[in-house]
Amino acid sequence: MAQTTAFLGGAKSRLLPASVPFRFFAAAAAFHLIGWLALGAGAAQVASFRGGLGWPLAALHAVTLGVLVMTAIGASVQLLPVATRQPVLSQRLPAGLWWLYSAAVAVLVAAMAAGQPMPLAVGAAGCGLALIGWAVLLARNLLGARGMPVVVAHGWAALLGLGLLLASGASLVLMYLGAPAWSRSSAIVLHLAFGAYGFMGLLVLGFSYILVPMFALADSPPHRPVIASLALALAALGLAAMAAADMAAAVVLPAAAIAGAGALALHVRLMRQALRSGLRRQLGRPFVLVHVGWAGLGASLVAGLALALQGPAAAFERAPALFGALLVLSLLTFLLGMMARIVPFLASMHAPAGRRGPPLPSTLTAERPLALFFHCHLVAVAALLTAVWFDSAWLVRAAALAGSVGALAFGVFVGSAWRRMRAGAKPPRVGADL
Amino acid sequence: MSRAPGTPWPDADGLHVDVRGLPPPEPFVTIVRLIEAAAPGTVLIVHHDREPYPLYSELAERGWHAERIEGEPDEVRLRLRAGD
Repeated sequence: MAQTTAFLGGAKSRLLPASVPFRFFAAAAAFHLIGWLALGAGAAQVASFRGGLGWPLAALHAVTLGVLVMTAIGASVQLLPVATRQPVLSQRLPAGLWWLYSAAVAVLVAAMAAGQPMPLAVGAAGCGLALIGWAVLLARNLLGARGMPVVVAHGWAALLGLGLLLASGASLVLMYLGAPAWSRSSAIVLHLAFGAYGFMGLLVLGFSYILVPMFALADSPPHRPVIASLALALAALGLAAMAAADMAAAVVLPAAAIAGAGALALHVRLMRQALRSGLRRQLGRPFVLVHVGWAGLGASLVAGLALALQGPAAAFERAPALFGALLVLSLLTFLLGMMARIVPFLASMHAPAGRRGPPLPSTLTAERPLALFFHCHLVAVAALLTAVWFDSAWLVRAAALAGSVGALAFGVFVGSAWRRMRAGAKPPRVGADL
Repeated sequence: MSRAPGTPWPDADGLHVDVRGLPPPEPFVTIVRLIEAAAPGTVLIVHHDREPYPLYSELAERGWHAERIEGEPDEVRLRLRAGD
């Protein structure tokens, strides 16, 4: 057994220090709380939100940049080198990116809340620089990857989405400085389509093809339908780009929503097949959130289609806010569900191996905070969607309160995994969860 | 005789499986499935092309442990068995 421990110790030396991915997760937990608090602060403007500086925009970006992208960076800097058999190029670069990106997101969110264009430009520039740095790391991993064409194709497509997200974001920031590069409507269509569906959406799809079969202990899905799903997603993005360029937008935007829905439906069908056929059927509350995320993404595409068709549904005053809330809450719910699985799993990879090997992820999971987060998050999501539908500021505040409690509980869960990992994963005392 | 990656074969020192060339997470899933189906006392020799970091906690969960043994260049060869 000593030999085993020595081997595992050697293996660990090729991983990034645990502090690197965990600092991204800690920052994401903090921005998760900030997002809900900002939403509560701007409760009166949420239901009628159609863009523009203020608390709702700050809340939106605390979640998208602060939670979704922050987590994607933290997970990818550790998991991709392992999956692609690439040596870790540098430990300092991801750590440096964290400093730059966290500070830049904080400045950007604060500037949006305060309605200050110049600090907004500073924050946006910092975010852009950090994301370009991360994109270089990701591209290097994708270039060196062998034998995993599905994930690599999704990775490159997500990087294309990131490029257009950054370009459209820059145009929107320049608009606040009085010198827009593109029209506002074009930039918003690009920002939304390529940021949410293109960049985050394709990262979600690509990572899922590894993570879902791995957690479920199932076969990987067959390549042909996976590639068909990706092709549909890329077609949807291409159509959205045409709409942004004012090329028959009334026709191509609905077509984009339909193609996107087709891509998602194929993906979810493949993932549900994997879950049904896997050895591990009980995946707990995290995968309830994953299912809610899938359903919400589908609903966001239906809402997007209704808006694009410009029929009676589009005349509903709060339809844009409802569409945005559905989209962002779905991505957030999916990602937090996955994180609830990944955090203890990564902590186990990094924990000191005992006589019987590394600690089990279950011993690194603080169940009570996770359960509290699960319930509060679902209440917050339901309350926010209802609040937007009925234009109720007090219900937005109730959602923000439930979301904030959930975010705090999720932060305790992440912190607890870190503490238990550092403590050598001693079995928790009874009642030591909170 | 060439075998498809992931197809096990018996040998004097245990049941062997070569998972090199399989995309993730197939090596992980293949190994865990073999462990789940293994008769008591089975020794599983894994021929891998990478250090299977995610595998170790799955082994620990099932009371198995891993030992690195000598393999070909660029190969990570592991002997897996249940218990101490």
